[in-house]
Amino acid sequence: MLSTQAIENIKKAIAKYPRKKSASMDALMIAQKECGHLTEDILLEIAHLLEMPPVQLNQVAAFYTMYNKRPVGKYHIQVCTNISCSLLGSEHIFQFFSKMLGIKKGETTSDKKFTLSEVECLGSCGTAPMMQINDDYYENLTEAKIEEILKTLK
Amino acid sequence: MATVKINGKEITTEDGTLILDAARQAGFEIPTFCYQARLSRLGSCRMCLVEIGGQKKLQPSCITPVLHGMEVFTENETVKSARSSMLEFLLANHPLDCPTCDKGGECELQDFVFKSGPRRSPFSEWKRRFHEKDEILSPIIVKNHNRCIHCERCARICDEVVGVSALGGIGRGAKTQETSFWNTTLDCDHCGNCIEVCPVGSFMSLPYRYKSRPWDLKEADTVCPYCATGCQITIGARNGEILRVRSKSATGINKETLCSRGRFGYHFMQSGKRLTKPMIKKGGKLIECSWDEALSAIKQRFGMGRKTAGIASARLTNEELFVFQKLVRDVFKTNNIDLDSRFANKWVTSAMVDICGFGEGGISIFDALKADTIFIIGSAISDENPITDYLIRTTASDKRKTLILAHPRRIKLNSSATISLKYKPANPGDVIKGIVNFIEKGKDKAEGDIDTAALRFKNASNITMFLGADILRLDNGVDVLKNIAVLKTLLKKAGKNINCLPLFDRCNQRGAINMGIHPLFLPGFKKTEEEGMDCGEILSAAKNGEIESLYVLGEDIVSMYPDAGFAKDAVSKVKFLVVQDTFLTETAKMADVVLPGATYAEKDGTFTNQEGRVQRVRKIISCVGDSKDDLSILDNIGGFGYKSAKDVFDDIKEEVPSYKDILFDALNNAGVLVNGQGAGVMSHESGVRSQRQEAIDDSEYPFQIITGNHLFHSGRLSQKAHVLVKLLAEPFVEISDEDAKELGLSDKEVVIVKSKEYEAALKLRMVKGSQKGVAFIPENFDSVSVNLFYKKGKGIPKVKIIKQ
Repeated sequence: MLSTQAIENIKKAIAKYPRKKSASMDALMIAQKECGHLTEDILLEIAHLLEMPPVQLNQVAAFYTMYNKRPVGKYHIQVCTNISCSLLGSEHIFQFFSKMLGIKKGETTSDKKFTLSEVECLGSCGTAPMMQINDDYYENLTEAKIEEILKTLK
Repeated sequence: MATVKINGKEITTEDGTLILDAARQAGFEIPTFCYQARLSRLGSCRMCLVEIGGQKKLQPSCITPVLHGMEVFTENETVKSARSSMLEFLLANHPLDCPTCDKGGECELQDFVFKSGPRRSPFSEWKRRFHEKDEILSPIIVKNHNRCIHCERCARICDEVVGVSALGGIGRGAKTQETSFWNTTLDCDHCGNCIEVCPVGSFMSLPYRYKSRPWDLKEADTVCPYCATGCQITIGARNGEILRVRSKSATGINKETLCSRGRFGYHFMQSGKRLTKPMIKKGGKLIECSWDEALSAIKQRFGMGRKTAGIASARLTNEELFVFQKLVRDVFKTNNIDLDSRFANKWVTSAMVDICGFGEGGISIFDALKADTIFIIGSAISDENPITDYLIRTTASDKRKTLILAHPRRIKLNSSATISLKYKPANPGDVIKGIVNFIEKGKDKAEGDIDTAALRFKNASNITMFLGADILRLDNGVDVLKNIAVLKTLLKKAGKNINCLPLFDRCNQRGAINMGIHPLFLPGFKKTEEEGMDCGEILSAAKNGEIESLYVLGEDIVSMYPDAGFAKDAVSKVKFLVVQDTFLTETAKMADVVLPGATYAEKDGTFTNQEGRVQRVRKIISCVGDSKDDLSILDNIGGFGYKSAKDVFDDIKEEVPSYKDILFDALNNAGVLVNGQGAGVMSHESGVRSQRQEAIDDSEYPFQIITGNHLFHSGRLSQKAHVLVKLLAEPFVEISDEDAKELGLSDKEVVIVKSKEYEAALKLRMVKGSQKGVAFIPENFDSVSVNLFYKKGKGIPKVKIIKQ
């Protein structure tokens, strides 16, 4: 169940658009900020608020990698593996993370601290290879840099 | 107009025509997957790429319109190689498990690859794989995501035509799955249109699964027997067993779409409970007997004259009904003949005939839907006539059109309506009176929905009204129809073009009326010399012992008559009751002689749908056991000597002028609309009498009951089709969410519905936006017979709903 504050925020988002369902992405983000990840019940609740078929909202949520469909750890590491990053070795970066944290794609460490995801283009191709941890970008990645970053994440 | 050259052939088409359509007109076939004429354009499958002179890149012909002077190539080497490459890409992820796929043999991908695809693939990578085992999405859909080619026909038809939006593409890229919300069991209309439009074996029918190969099926085109929309269906049978019903893409008014009843309602024909032998009552018990014994008993014991009567079902063919009225009128010498449907009194039926202009010939629904304003009253159309609902939804997606929907319940079509009007079941006339009042007083400022609707009528130039079968059931139905007639005259005077079409719930209701199954008129609307009794009057007379012999053809009056107790009492007083039916119904159990008849797949003939379109019903399997087709049974009793349905049709042509030009053998899948010969025979001024029964508001019983067919059921017949029973096995009571809140009731809770005479426990369904004070209960279930709430002559029943 969403909090009254979240519902209030969604209603504000709805007011910005001519059609209710145009606020899908805003609403999903508001819900995710509150609940950490999106569940079946939350999607149904939002679809009801937006007066749209639930499956269409599910389509939006499923299309974007930024919406979590499963619980994530304290730090959500999202490594871009799209074309520019992959040309500059994102695969290697990803493997390095995997080795460091001992988890595979989509998994979370047992202490619930890190989740490792592969995501689509984050629009920072000029600084590839890059990743996003929670809301922050980390660019021009190297193994050394990653080790440094991980040290700072407590 | 634009003139284009396609493969060197010059063709002139209207501006804006798609290259694909122009090429097809010119006789060139272009393969397509995502393109479907009635769906929105997607242009994603790239199968239809063509070369346009002067353009370097190939263009998708399904979204590119023609331009004057354009030169198009659809068959050259560049196009052929592009086509082959597209198929190669599709096959890169397609499992090629054709030997175990139900679609094999009628798969579009298989056909196109065979015709224009590559013969080998250079891909050595692993194929995409979602699952090992097929997923069961609903009682009718089994899904294999691995085979999907992402044409999105399924999701688009579900959203745009059916109006449910139960399906969508979940995921992205090649990993997208066309599936339900959160991969849960589909909560949908179970129409199976996604199965029909799927070009590959991704959506498959669960009842048909692994039953047959398409080339082993014997198929026949016929007409759906459930509602009066008159959809063309193709029945497939193997070794005398019906295995599936499908709809062909360019056939009939339904064009590839059907509802759950039409597509999955065929199991009743082979249910095992069919009557297979005639039966005769001996010592108070029905025992099986020979045809000779049964028929000679009827010939000897069935009376003649005023004390006899016949009641027929509108599910029978024109030919059978014609012979039945001949039997009743010529042999039993009585005009006491009526239809079952909605048990309308004879004046309401004749008023309906009059206002819908049956005498003026049929109106194609496509012409009717060209109107700028469409008005529907008295029908929960989404439940009663699902395919008419699809056609109207598709039309109403044009925002220049106005759709005014008046019904007490909120139904699926409301989401497409411009204006939704509500009324209490007993008073649909109030809506009409409001509109008439607004127009007559020359108002131009709208206060409230009725005024807004009236304003739309005022500004319209071409109007189509659909009048539903709910009106027939009302005791004051004549008044309602009179109000509509006033509105019609008023609008006509203002120079507007008006068409009226009925929405009937039985497949051959219009045909039955044409065939003279009515106490007031003979075939072709010729007036009878002496007025006969309608169904209600026949039963009242029977109750007083004034009907000695009654012939019931294909109808279960005891279960279906509103006031079931009265009907049972009345029928029990009939001295000699003959029931001809396919099942041992409640009425048949009381009969003196029971004759086993045939279902629609076991006989030839014609149905006339609500538009007035005459379509062929074709025999595909033989009758079960010793049962016989209804025509030969009736012919035997009457001794008329008809050899076939065509023989009868020749007689119909002589007696019913509007059928004169129809050639039985030439009837194809398009059917033929009846013409307007014999117009103006009935007039509602002539003798229509109203039986006014006002519903008096009663604070103790605040709900008015409205009943009708559920989307998955039709009459009591569908109870014998096990797939439909799986979809909905138990009746329910549907009320508005406002009422539910006031009563402190929640969805799916079991409640007691109580009238003065009868009570039943039912599951509650809440619907947002229904009229307050209205309770809907589907009429299709024996377990809670909604007809027991009715009391003859008391009008719409009133009930209260209380917590259990």
